[in-house]
Amino acid sequence: MTRFALPLVAGLLCCTALTNAAFAAKDLVVGVPDNLTTLDPADVNDTLSQSATRTMLQGLFAFDKEMKLIPQLAESFTVNDTATEYTYKLRKGVTFHDGTPFNAQAVKINFDRLSNPANKLKRQSLLAMLAETVVVDDTTITLKLAQPFGALNNNLAHPGAMIHSPKALETYGKEIGRHPVGTGPFKFVSWQADTMVATKNTNYWKPGLPKVDSVTFRSVPENGSRIAMLQTNEAQFVYPLPSEMVPMVEKNPALSIINAPSIIARYVAMNTMKKPFNDVRVRQALNYAIDKNAWTKIVYRGFAGPLPSPLPPKLGFHVPQAEQYTVDLAKAKALLAEAGYPNGFEAEMFGRNNTNFIRGMQFVQQQLSQIGVKITVTPLEAGVETARVWGVEKPEDATVQMQYGGWSASTGDADWGLRPLLWGKGFPPKFFNVAYYKNETVDAAIETGIATADTAKRAEAYRVAQEQIWKDAPWLFLGVENLLAAQVKNLTGLNQVADGGLQIEEADIQ
Amino acid sequence: MLKYLVGRIAGIIPVLLVISVFVFGFVHLLPGDPARLVAGSDASPSDIALVRQDLGLDQPLWVQYGRFLSNAVQGEFGRSMKTKRKVSEEIGSRFLPTLYLTGAAMAWATLAGLLIGVASATKRGRWPDHVGMFVAVSGIAFPSFWLGLLMIDLFSVQLRWLPTSGYGTWQHFVMPSLTLGLGVAAVMARFTRSAFIDIAREDYVRTARAKGVPSRLVVWKHTLRNAMIPIITMVGLQFGFLLGGSIVVETVFSWPGLGRLLVDSVSYRDYTVIQAEILLFSLEFILINLLVDVLYALANPEIRYS
Repeated sequence: MTRFALPLVAGLLCCTALTNAAFAAKDLVVGVPDNLTTLDPADVNDTLSQSATRTMLQGLFAFDKEMKLIPQLAESFTVNDTATEYTYKLRKGVTFHDGTPFNAQAVKINFDRLSNPANKLKRQSLLAMLAETVVVDDTTITLKLAQPFGALNNNLAHPGAMIHSPKALETYGKEIGRHPVGTGPFKFVSWQADTMVATKNTNYWKPGLPKVDSVTFRSVPENGSRIAMLQTNEAQFVYPLPSEMVPMVEKNPALSIINAPSIIARYVAMNTMKKPFNDVRVRQALNYAIDKNAWTKIVYRGFAGPLPSPLPPKLGFHVPQAEQYTVDLAKAKALLAEAGYPNGFEAEMFGRNNTNFIRGMQFVQQQLSQIGVKITVTPLEAGVETARVWGVEKPEDATVQMQYGGWSASTGDADWGLRPLLWGKGFPPKFFNVAYYKNETVDAAIETGIATADTAKRAEAYRVAQEQIWKDAPWLFLGVENLLAAQVKNLTGLNQVADGGLQIEEADIQ
Repeated sequence: MLKYLVGRIAGIIPVLLVISVFVFGFVHLLPGDPARLVAGSDASPSDIALVRQDLGLDQPLWVQYGRFLSNAVQGEFGRSMKTKRKVSEEIGSRFLPTLYLTGAAMAWATLAGLLIGVASATKRGRWPDHVGMFVAVSGIAFPSFWLGLLMIDLFSVQLRWLPTSGYGTWQHFVMPSLTLGLGVAAVMARFTRSAFIDIAREDYVRTARAKGVPSRLVVWKHTLRNAMIPIITMVGLQFGFLLGGSIVVETVFSWPGLGRLLVDSVSYRDYTVIQAEILLFSLEFILINLLVDVLYALANPEIRYS
């Protein structure tokens, strides 16, 4: 035993020394579930990598912690009536981490890069409508669009439209994703297999920020290990926190839980082109058969909220609907009988094969069995789902009857919450309208909403669309997930936004 | 022997060629469109088309195979579809952590397994045998993710002796190598025990004992040396499996290894990484088999290769 004691004591001392040093230097470690994919936001589609790039890069606009649009590298803007020409005044005196100045030319280089299909960037669609970028002067830039687009500022607030240093783009070329250079509060240091480190940008344009000296993203896939890191103070913030671990974290006086509504809508899309779901009464009946409160409790242990409209409450232009589908089995049965299915029917439901989805599908299965609707639950692996659901070329070839799914509109705007999912011209494989839902009123409203930048006109269009969709019930409206994360109590200022992204700029360790 | 070795090494090439066809075929038979998966769940159709073109997936299959093969011959496996990083870098950054962890786990597990196995065999039916086999069977039966989490809770959260997870110092090796090695040690113990008991029944062992050779010599020289052949085979097999990375241990201890990379790549349909990784695993197995064959000759001089 004595022989082991020495190295152990040495190890302990060493650990303590390290932890003390960590406190002195204010190093923030964030424990996350997956590996980062790349640090070029224009070529990224996962929230996690976007959060990491947000510590280093910035866009003309951004979202605050309430997901409200705020100017970041832009100071102000003007737009013409038809939403085809936007002019931005840029912030002065901002420099990139490599010392090059941030100016209109830098913005032009970035936007031209993103919008050019030849560059094959995953986020090209954010600026696909861009016809021309004109540098007016050093701090003014005009974007001319090929067609009207009213939500452009939202697209520019998306991490995909953040601005790289033009010098870095030139130097690193294809390797830019491993050498991000931006204007943000932190400077890139290193990124090995599962650890990314960024250090304080001492020349940051916002005075007094950032408060921590470095930020590290560490990928720890196992939930239990991630919480253990928090308990040992190897990490100060971890997400996601599985709902079953909430009681355990609550018991620890040094830790606290972040529990906030997200913009992730959960629903079951029903194929409105095929029997029996082509009858609106059937779809409404199914909505009346489901107890949404029970769904919240059973699938999310209460860590979820209602979906009182096709758009989640935290998304722009959300209008809660007056008449909710509160559970009413008698009404559901009556509607089914009226539609010619007095004894119910059988149907198949697709969905992803993770625990949460399977639990949710089984819940819906049980609920619908109360009105005689027998559901076969078919969990699909991601690739299989792609082939069977999203890649189907013609609506008549679609085998999907019901699809348990969800959506998070990454631009924070109503357009991206409706157009990909419920627009009559958005059937797979073009977009994700797996309900194969087509309604003229809704189509017109969605098209009007995107063709103007006038907020009042857009609000009206999306109000009409939500109302019609709610009535037509192409989905079983289930609810909105909460975001659950855990942190040490002495960490402040780290926000998880409703889209799941992290804002670390103002983080501080007391 | 040298001639034999050269022949065996030359033989690797056609084997790898056949494997490459299978790997390529298998990967492309997986359902699902990588372009769509790579582009992400809310990508627009034009984004997906761009990705497909970028990945060369719009080309006919034989063109894709040809390019894969000609690049592979030059040791170039293209770029990961997911991270756009070079596949060689992607795999390279995880190869050493996997190798080290495998080495650490195999080293203690082989030694422990061997000792427990020999102890059990020589004291057959008595308490060392019962204890040894109880430990071995428990080791095989104990789920490694559970063991890993228990160790994290004890050594990291309660006692604060070791870091919870990650890769870096020697402390990071302790828990993952214990977790990874436990199953191997258990298998080795069981295997050594039965091989040892088989050999102990042989005439020459009985003769040695009859003519008064000291028991220690009978055990460690006459019996163990002859029992080495199946044991070496087993060590080789286990080593090969572990080099493929362990998804469970890598996940629990967030170890940057090859196992998680492979699983991630499959669920992402990251063709280039899957192909390169499976080729690497095949090559590792072939080389280990070769090494095992050479070790046979060292253990038993009667085995000659020509």
